[in-house]
Amino acid sequence: MKEKLVKKNNNQGLFKGTSIYVGVTLLLILTLIFSILTSVTMGSVDISAKDIYQIIFYKLFDIGTEESLPSSSAIDIVWFIRLPRIILATCVGMGLSISGLIMQAVVKNPLADPYILGVSSGAYLGATIAIMLGVGSFLGSNYVGICAFIGAFIISILVMVMSNINSKANSTKLLLSGMALSSLCSAFSSFIIYYTDDKERLRSITDWIMGSLAGANWDTIKFIFPIILIAVVFFITQYRTLNLMLLGDEVSITLGKDLHIYRQIYLLVTSLIIGLIVYSSGIIGFVGLIIPHIVRILFGTDHKKIIFINALSGSIFLIWADVLSRIIIPGSELPIGILISMIGTPIFIYLMISKSYGFGGGR
Amino acid sequence: MEMSSKNLVVYLGGKKILNDLSLHIKNKEFVGIIGPNGSGKSTLLKALYRTLRPNSGTIYIDDKNIDDISLKETAKKIAVVAQHNDSDFDFSVIDMVLIGRTPHKKFMERDNPNDYKIALESLEKVGMTNFSDRSFNSLSGGEKQRVILARALAQETKCLILDEPTNHLDIKYQLQFMSIAKSLEITVISAIHDLNIAALYCDKIYAMKSGEIIDYGTPKEVLTKKLIKVLYEVDSEVNINKDTNTMNIVFKPFEIQ
Repeated sequence: MKEKLVKKNNNQGLFKGTSIYVGVTLLLILTLIFSILTSVTMGSVDISAKDIYQIIFYKLFDIGTEESLPSSSAIDIVWFIRLPRIILATCVGMGLSISGLIMQAVVKNPLADPYILGVSSGAYLGATIAIMLGVGSFLGSNYVGICAFIGAFIISILVMVMSNINSKANSTKLLLSGMALSSLCSAFSSFIIYYTDDKERLRSITDWIMGSLAGANWDTIKFIFPIILIAVVFFITQYRTLNLMLLGDEVSITLGKDLHIYRQIYLLVTSLIIGLIVYSSGIIGFVGLIIPHIVRILFGTDHKKIIFINALSGSIFLIWADVLSRIIIPGSELPIGILISMIGTPIFIYLMISKSYGFGGGR
Repeated sequence: MEMSSKNLVVYLGGKKILNDLSLHIKNKEFVGIIGPNGSGKSTLLKALYRTLRPNSGTIYIDDKNIDDISLKETAKKIAVVAQHNDSDFDFSVIDMVLIGRTPHKKFMERDNPNDYKIALESLEKVGMTNFSDRSFNSLSGGEKQRVILARALAQETKCLILDEPTNHLDIKYQLQFMSIAKSLEITVISAIHDLNIAALYCDKIYAMKSGEIIDYGTPKEVLTKKLIKVLYEVDSEVNINKDTNTMNIVFKPFEIQ
């Protein structure tokens, strides 16, 4: 056994199992492309697949001529509604799953999700102020998103500052600061809602809270996709530090790394991602919690292997969740947050039971 | 590697835990630190391996002030096996050992075949080669401790600090663990509860009480009936086994009326 292992590592120059992860990654990239190309053909308006690809090829690569294209309403549906929405789902799924993974490492807690440090409450307060009080309407059509982004980002910074008072931040202090500020924001939101007492606006807050990809447009995507991609690449380079975070501060110091500064940097990057996601699509829960866990169940904890796999899985998951949310009830759209909890939870429970997966442990 | 401390003072929660403590550990010595609970053994070791900053005093590695050395450089010189190594997240055994290569890695540098070779050799030294694919959390306490020792070995340091590493191990694994540490022929500094184990393995022993060193010397010099009474307030019998030339410390039970 021992000799076999050594031989395998030395002669082939391939680390144990690395080829599997490379294979899985390639497979997931193909699945992602396939998902984008398939999901674009699904929707309430019937447009033939041939027409759809013709439109995409024309718009992307200038292949074909204007005259050969189908009607302009089909072009609008494909190019300005369906495709942006799918690409936004790709961004948001990637951003949520990667932030969830990073957040779990930063606070060293498998229950963490991207919103654990009060980000969602901050966004909620921002959105409440915007919708209920009409603050920030000069910021343009998506002023609610902008206010939510500001709320989310301010809370992230406050959590970091608060947990650094008196002594350096550690995972427990971060969690407690997050919880405290989260309660405070919720209280203020409730206060505003209670005293404004406007049913119509309350309804639009509720809609906003459940998250939706319907607001997708190319301008937003051009802005957030590069940032999320750069963040993913950045975190792929950080796998060693992320692994150390799971082992704790003391062990890290004995291995030559003080985690404090890294925690701050990672929090800043994830806050930015989450802020952008909140801006573009509201609060979509659960993806950032289950995707990292599902990936961990299947591929282990080592961040060297799972960061990119996790990002791709998040994208694929959200694309199909969005497709389902559009077609599951004919003629109307189910909020994606509700759908994800409904289909995600059973998958999660199944994996938890079948792999005897206890809080991130045991394979 | 030599290690020394001068006039270390540590306060924790307003209480003085280390009181003007100085010690000197020579190259390749196996040094035991004994003392009752709360005597400051762990605090001393934490100050030495830098997870705790002393309020005053200086620590030297090979005559260099530890404050002038980066954490990364320290981690290339000193490896640590502490008491508890549980985590909510699980790693495979080989990944856990590979993490020991961290101090040798530059920013963004990935593991290479040489790192795997060192990790596997470390596992072999602790007799855990067959476990390399197992998940760390599924191991028994003794197996976990040996994997952590392998991780420390993968750091390739000239000094090992052990903080009561054999606390939860049965006698076989206690002996095995200490024998592995002894066989490395590097500087070892270990807090030890079991005086018989200390007598078996240590070249030198520091006896600590209330944050001070009260005795220092070879096991035969330090581990006397008198000192054990002073340290632990326990009566004992210290014999030398003539056949094996090992020390044998027997404790007398308390008389409860």
